[in-house]
Amino acid sequence: MKELKYILKPKSVVIVGASRTPGKVGHIILQNYINDGYSGNIYLVNKNEEEILGMRSYSRVTGIKAGSIDLAVIAVPAEAVPEVLEDCGKAGVKSAVVVSGGFAEIGKQELQDEIVKIAKKYKIAMIGPNCLGVMDPRSRVNTLFLPSYKLAKPEIGGISFVAQSGAVGSTVLDLMAGEGFGISKFISYGNAADIDEVDILEYLMEDEETKVIAMYIEGIKRGRDFIELGKKITKKKPVIILKAGRTAAGATAAHSHTAALAGSYEAHEAVFRQFGFTIANDISELLYYSKIFASEAAPVGSRIGIITNGGGAGVLTTDAIASSRHMSLGELSEKSKADLRKVMPPLVNITNPLDLAGDADDKRYRDALTSMASDPGIDMIIVIILFQTPGADSRLAAEVVAMKEKTSKPMVVLSIGSEYTEMHKMMMERSGLPVYDSPRAVALSLEALYSYYQYKNHSG
Amino acid sequence: MLWDYFKAKEILDKYGIRSIESRYVENADDAVKFSQSKPIVLKLISEKELHKSKAGLVKLELSNEKDIRRAYEELASKGKSLKPYKIIAQKMAEEGGIESIIGGRDDPQFGKLILIGLGGVYVEAFKDFALRVCPINEYDAGEMLEQLVSRNVITYKGESRKMLVKLLMSVSKLLVENPQIKELDLNPVILREKSYDVVDIRVLE
Repeated sequence: MKELKYILKPKSVVIVGASRTPGKVGHIILQNYINDGYSGNIYLVNKNEEEILGMRSYSRVTGIKAGSIDLAVIAVPAEAVPEVLEDCGKAGVKSAVVVSGGFAEIGKQELQDEIVKIAKKYKIAMIGPNCLGVMDPRSRVNTLFLPSYKLAKPEIGGISFVAQSGAVGSTVLDLMAGEGFGISKFISYGNAADIDEVDILEYLMEDEETKVIAMYIEGIKRGRDFIELGKKITKKKPVIILKAGRTAAGATAAHSHTAALAGSYEAHEAVFRQFGFTIANDISELLYYSKIFASEAAPVGSRIGIITNGGGAGVLTTDAIASSRHMSLGELSEKSKADLRKVMPPLVNITNPLDLAGDADDKRYRDALTSMASDPGIDMIIVIILFQTPGADSRLAAEVVAMKEKTSKPMVVLSIGSEYTEMHKMMMERSGLPVYDSPRAVALSLEALYSYYQYKNHSG
Repeated sequence: MLWDYFKAKEILDKYGIRSIESRYVENADDAVKFSQSKPIVLKLISEKELHKSKAGLVKLELSNEKDIRRAYEELASKGKSLKPYKIIAQKMAEEGGIESIIGGRDDPQFGKLILIGLGGVYVEAFKDFALRVCPINEYDAGEMLEQLVSRNVITYKGESRKMLVKLLMSVSKLLVENPQIKELDLNPVILREKSYDVVDIRVLE
């Protein structure tokens, strides 16, 4: 296994190509290290400078005491990378993130092969080239050359997001941070010249800080190794994959119906399905599924209970559940019905979906949730809260968060609305309660959760 | 390279995969003799044409001598532009049943893949299929069937499901143990409640 720990948890970092000029990649990276409060040693290398932002700058990596650097972040023009990497090798640097572009992605395969050779010679674990690199909010490592004010700052959490593409990577990272997701690692690995998706997944599989893995990929370099890994990783933690290239044309005209139907994308999808990966069809689904898996609740069945303070929203959600593959509405037990009848006002019809009416407050929700949580006929709970109604306020949001702590059943919230709703959504999200804004998103997410645990339970 | 039909049939036999009784016919007399007054099918096989039915190269339910001779002559005349070709005579499959496709291909990334879907003329219209990497186990085979939109059409109930799971596992074994096979089409495979017939075979090396 490649040593990603030196990349994600380095005790010391050298930024090669560090710059005093604002806007330059080498400046942004340095600025981010300083802003994020990285606590390890930072060394700077720039062959034309002796001092940058008040810090000493070395002219070459070899000028720094050998063996003292875990990670080199390399942001110099492509042609200069081989020499820098050679220096890193001589100085005993253990790992490198090459953010520089200008390699295989523009046809310069030879230059890329050259740096791989150097990395292998000195046993440097290398990410890139042509990548954003990594971010780890715990170790405060951040090699992203994106100005920090342009990107929402992610909280510490259990989702690791891996993206081949830096652009999709930073976009999704921004969205995740904005929605209040807790991030464990962000890894953008670009051309995958040395460290590829299999290496990264192997690391994340064993990483205890990572509870859920979300991935955006364009291709897989080592198909059979990916399959072998797939047999193990999804038994340990959920992996959500968004794969681009659905519409790629087949390389050659097919000679059989089978080949005409099952192209490269279909083959990838088949592998994902067979080995328990969760397939996301777009960025929205990637976010939906990351969120529900991060809540770490495992369903034992597929019967849904719905609590709502709006009849129409309840019906729409019932429709979405009914059109899913595996889920259906559960039947309330006689005990639940009796309990609820005692505490609910007469206008509440005791059935599933349970419509608590427009004046429902936190107390009524608590009673409803208590019954659903202990009802043996209900496996997963959807709580619809329309915050536009008089009884729905912050007390209710807090009540639902508290209930989530008490039940082992998966529980999600559906809230549709603007400013006031958004504020409460954020409150609940940050407390680890997944909140969605459409019945379809809820149904897709619960279905994905259920399917994953079905696979996991089956394959042990 | 397309395998000879009977080389392909032989390998299916070896894995216990039942395909319909067939033989090459050199002329109309051969075909009439093969029929023995029972309905037969005549097909023209050529590497140049993948879509036999659409191209009018499959003549079904030929039950009397006159029909057999006329069909044979028609195929032979169409064959002139599809050389080299062969004409094959097959017994008709039992009445009823649903057409499915079972296939395989060698993927450069992941190795041998196995496919099942709604078959025959519906293959391309509905594209309802499930795909897995070989080898598959019983659970995978079951999940493949479960994935099909047409699952309730293709597998009636318990018994046909069991039969189909077994068939898929045999095809997976065949694909794994014969690495030279690049593509395989069993299409259609006619599925009935308790039995099936592989009616057409295409193996590419």
